This record gives sequence, structure tokens and C-alpha cells, in this order.
Amino acid sequence: MIDSARLRLRLPAPIRVALISLIFGVVITVPVLLFVYHQTDTLFEERIHDRLNDDERDVMFAYANAGPAALPGAIDQALRSGELRGGVALLVDPRGHKLAGNLAGWPPVLPTPSEWNEFRLFPEGQVRPDLFAIRTVALPTGERLLLGATISERERMRASLVEALLGALLLAVPLGLIGGWVVLKIAERRARAVGNVASRIAAGDFSHRLDEETGGEEFSMLASAINAMLERIEELVEQLQLVTDSLAHDLRSPLTRMRANIERAGGADRDRQQQAIEAVSLDIDRMLRLISATLEISSTEAGVGKQHFEEFDLAGLLRDICEIYNPLAEERGMEMTIVAPSTLAYTGNRQSIGRAVANLADNAVKYGGGAIELGVADAGEFIELWVADGGPGISSDLHEFALGKYRRLEQARTTEGSGLGLALARAVARLHGGDIELEDNRPGLRVILRLRREPTNLSLL
Amino acid sequence: MTKKILVVEDDPTTADYIAKGFEQNGYVVDVAGDGRDGLFHATDGHYAAIVLDRMLPGMDGLAVLGAVRAAGIDTPVIVLSALGSTDERVKGLKSGSDDYLAKPFAFSELLARVEALQRRGPSGAQPIVTSLRCADLNMDLLARRVERAGERVDLQPREFRLLELLLRNKGQVVTRTMMLEEVWDYHFDPGTNVIDVHISRLRKKIEDGNRLPLLHTVRGVGYMLSETA
Repeated sequence: MIDSARLRLRLPAPIRVALISLIFGVVITVPVLLFVYHQTDTLFEERIHDRLNDDERDVMFAYANAGPAALPGAIDQALRSGELRGGVALLVDPRGHKLAGNLAGWPPVLPTPSEWNEFRLFPEGQVRPDLFAIRTVALPTGERLLLGATISERERMRASLVEALLGALLLAVPLGLIGGWVVLKIAERRARAVGNVASRIAAGDFSHRLDEETGGEEFSMLASAINAMLERIEELVEQLQLVTDSLAHDLRSPLTRMRANIERAGGADRDRQQQAIEAVSLDIDRMLRLISATLEISSTEAGVGKQHFEEFDLAGLLRDICEIYNPLAEERGMEMTIVAPSTLAYTGNRQSIGRAVANLADNAVKYGGGAIELGVADAGEFIELWVADGGPGISSDLHEFALGKYRRLEQARTTEGSGLGLALARAVARLHGGDIELEDNRPGLRVILRLRREPTNLSLL
Repeated sequence: MTKKILVVEDDPTTADYIAKGFEQNGYVVDVAGDGRDGLFHATDGHYAAIVLDRMLPGMDGLAVLGAVRAAGIDTPVIVLSALGSTDERVKGLKSGSDDYLAKPFAFSELLARVEALQRRGPSGAQPIVTSLRCADLNMDLLARRVERAGERVDLQPREFRLLELLLRNKGQVVTRTMMLEEVWDYHFDPGTNVIDVHISRLRKKIEDGNRLPLLHTVRGVGYMLSETA
């Protein structure tokens, strides 16, 4: 089905951008020009008003001083040299006959008295009619007076303002088009750069990055955000690849052994068959353990387990783990000791922390040596749990490697193990807002789990 | 009286595997393929135990469990689930099951747990036991004393609890994970030799000298305390 709403809006991009900038131009210019127009117009009319007031006052002054007889002279005087220059004036007697002024007669339909009338008049001595603002006054003795000032200037001003408006609009179209085109081209170039990198990555090459230096601030921000995302994706893909490879490798060896055992069992005597079956189920158990450890890590990494935070004693947990693993350590000629306060309340997932510490203790017994120390201490914002041993340790350049999934260092290849112990411990530490760290114990290895203290626990200090 | 087990499991292969296993051990097994059917059976029959899959068509396993408990039926229930994390386990136990077992599992582990559940009986109805006995091994739960052939055996507190667990399950297999759960309250797979060392220490203490061996290793599964090998 065709999405009609989308089709309707599908104008070519340059036209869209030009339209938008045009609308912007109009929206900004028109109100400004209208404002200017209105202000100028008002100012102009006020000025004309003032002039008419002055004229009226002058004429009325003469009338008051010398009576109606003085008016024709005053008007002629005013028309020749006074405020009314370029304007019109007319004085008629009560019957409407002209007494003085530069108009042939009283314009019909003009009321008396009136403040402001706009009339097109043709005064004597001018070549063409003009627009005037006219005021009429009724004198106490019956005469009527007409005074007018030209307002054609206002008309010219109005016309030029309209012209300016139209011009601005006309100018906005090409400017909008050009501006829009330029913006579009810049955006297009950036988008193409992003697109190029994206398609290279889609093709499998994760090493490409966007240029964060050129282009405006917004574009470098975008570029660095995208680059950070790519960095994370590359890391995840690499991890996934490594995990898949190692998992495949770790599953293949028991599977190969199982196949060999089954083949050997065929046709063998009952005892041999029994042995083969036992060997096979041992291998199956090993694979199941590997798979459940993998699932446990994934769910811990995904933050599952936060719902089951409870308050418990970390020092007690260390004592438990020590109690569980110490006999094994002693059997191998090692000794496990605890460095911890008598109690240390903490809110977290007891089961997963127990499992993480058990993994570390197990590692220490398997690969470490000498004295094994389990410890816990309050380090302010964090609680630090550590398992240290005096064995061969792990050289510092391999620390990061050892924390990955299915990582088994060369010396551990021959022993049993999934290579998931440290990865699980790391996931557990991260679930509790902390992290794991490997340190040189001089000699041996010290693994530190940092767990963020829950704010609710501070009161228990 | 033959003991009846109800298996509520939608996957026919797994259901068959479990049913066969119980039948070989002298149980009569009813299988229900979905939650409704399971609930119907559970409220009707008198079962020694119910094996309940967590993920079921029609009605979720925990919902079935809730309905069974709401109906006042306190048959021991063990929940099976592919969701093996400790949190799922806690959720399962909180909603009224008596035990929780992650898939995939060994049948021997399931059997050991189901038999342990039956001995424990319905919660609350547990008779008060003050001493446990196996041949000439005697455990006084009140005085927290253990004697073998009248001679006192000195045990650490955890060794005492380990032996108590084995004694309460006399003649039945106790798996390594069950031991870690019951004695230390941690629910992870401890790996084989960690528990083995504890057992061998305990064995040394209770079988000191040339006494009749009582603590037997059941290969690939766990340990069993019994008068006969």
C-alpha cells in the first residue's frame, strides 16, 4: 500500500529547504516592515495635525483681535509665507461665497466643523490636484474657514514602503534558494561521510571512524558520539567473536573425547562400556557447567539480580567461603586466612557475591600458591573484597586478557576450568556498581572486587 | 503402598525421561502436559511429590504452584526450570515450592532431591527428632554430640550439619550441590573436589579405625550414609 501522506510531502530536498528559508524570510521581514510602516505613518499624521493646529490658532488669533474683516488678509498672508505654504485655505461668508483663499469654492459634502478629512483638491496656482488633510472651522459670525495641508508625501511614503516589502520578498526567494542549497550541500556532505563510514562498517571493516575535527561544533559532537558508539560496537563484536571461538573450542574438546569414548565402547566388554559411559557423563557435566556459567554471566551482565539485594554480612560470607575452600587448600599445602572486621553489613546479592568470591578462592587454590588471603575492608564509597595468593601470579600485561570470558592463560590450559571465573566475578562486581582489578601481590596475584556501598547502609557504620 | 509422583512437563522427551527414571525406582508416575491438566491432577490425586516445570503452555508453572498452595495442598513440589540463575531460584522458592532444580539436570540429582523432600514431609508437619542414628553412629541433636560405638566424635559445627544432612537422608543419595545449599546456603555448583575434601575429613572422623564404613561415594552423583554398602 502507498503511504499517501508521505507521498504528498515528498518534494525534492532543495525545494523543501528553499521553501522553508523563504517562509522564514517572510515571517521575519513582513512584521518588521509593517511596524516601520505603522510608526512612520503615525508620526507623519501627527506632524500634519500639529501644522493644522498652528494654522488654525494663527487665523483665530487674527479673528479674535480684529474681527472677521481681518481674516482675508491673514489667510492670504498665511498662504504666501506662513505655515500653510503649499497647502490650501478658504474663507466663505455665511451664504457660501468665497471671501479669501486659494480654492475656487467650498467643496461639497465637506462638513463644518470637522477635525480631519482627506480630500483631493485642485487649489488655484497649482498644476495638478493634490491630496490634502483638511480641517473646517465655523466662526461665531457665520463664516466658515477651511484649512488644508498636503499629505501626498504620506502617499509616496506608503508606496515606497510597499515597494520595499515586495522587494524584500522577491529578494528572499533567491536568497532562500541559495542559502537552502548551501545548507543542504553541507549537510549532504556530512551525511555522506557518515553514510560512507556506516557502509564500510556494514561491509565488515570496523576500523573506520568519522573525522571529529572538521565541520562545525554540532557535527564534531555528532561525529564523536557516533565514533564512541562504533568503538563500543567494535569492542562488543570482538568480544563476541572471541567468546564464540573460545566456546566452540571449549565445547569441541569434550565432544571429541565423548565421541572417542563412545566409539571405543562399541563392541567392548561390559566393564569398558561402563567406564566409557562414566567418562561421557563427566564430559557432559563439564559442558553443562560451562553453559550455565555462561548464562549466569550474561544475566548478571544484563543486571538481573538487582531485585534480590538483601542485607547480609560480608565478613561472614568470607568466613563461609574460607571454610568451604580451606580444606582443599590445606590438602594442597596452602593455607587460607581471613583479614576482615568481625562484621561488615552490606546490601547486595549474597548468592552472586558468594559465587564470585568462591570462584576467586577456587582460582587461588588451583593456580596460586603459598598463603591465600581472603579480605574485606571498608574503603569509603566502596567495599573492597580481595583474594590474594603467593603463587606465580599473572604478569601485568596479561591482566586485562585474563578478565575476559573463556580466557585461560597458558599455564592453566592443562587444568580443569572454564575460563569463566574472573569474567563472572567481574560481572558480579559491575552488578554492584563496582569493578574488578588485578594487582601484583609480589609474589602472586591479588584480585580486588570493588562493590559500591548502598547509601542505605551508611547508617550502620 | 506405592508412591505416586506427578510430573507436570510439556516437553514429551523430558517428561518421558523423568517418568522412566521414577518408574525404575519403584514409583507410579502421572504425567500432565500442561498447567491446567497439572493443576487438575494435583488437586485430585494424593501424590508423594510433584515435579513441576516452570514454563508451561496454558498456565505458568509458578501460577500452578500458587493455585495448588491456595487450594491448601501441601504436597512437596520441586520446580524444574531452564532459568537457572540464583534469582529465579529464589523466586521459585518464594512462590511456595520446596526445591528448585535448573535444567539440564542429572536424573540422579532430581531423584535425590525428591526423596529428600518426601522425608522432610509437608512443611510444619515435621516430627520433632532429637536424635539420629545409623548403625552404631548416633547423633544427639539437643546436646549436639556425635558418638560412634559409644565413643565421642569431635566435629566442627559445619561437619556436624553435614553429617546431620546425611543422617536425615539415610540410605539416600545426597548430591554435592544439595550439601552446599543445606550446610552453607550457597546455590552454586561447587565443582567436584571442594565438597569431596569435606566428606573425606568427615569420613576420617567417623570411620576412624577399622570400623564398618558408613559414608559411601555414589559415583557421578554424590554421597550416601548407609549401614550397607
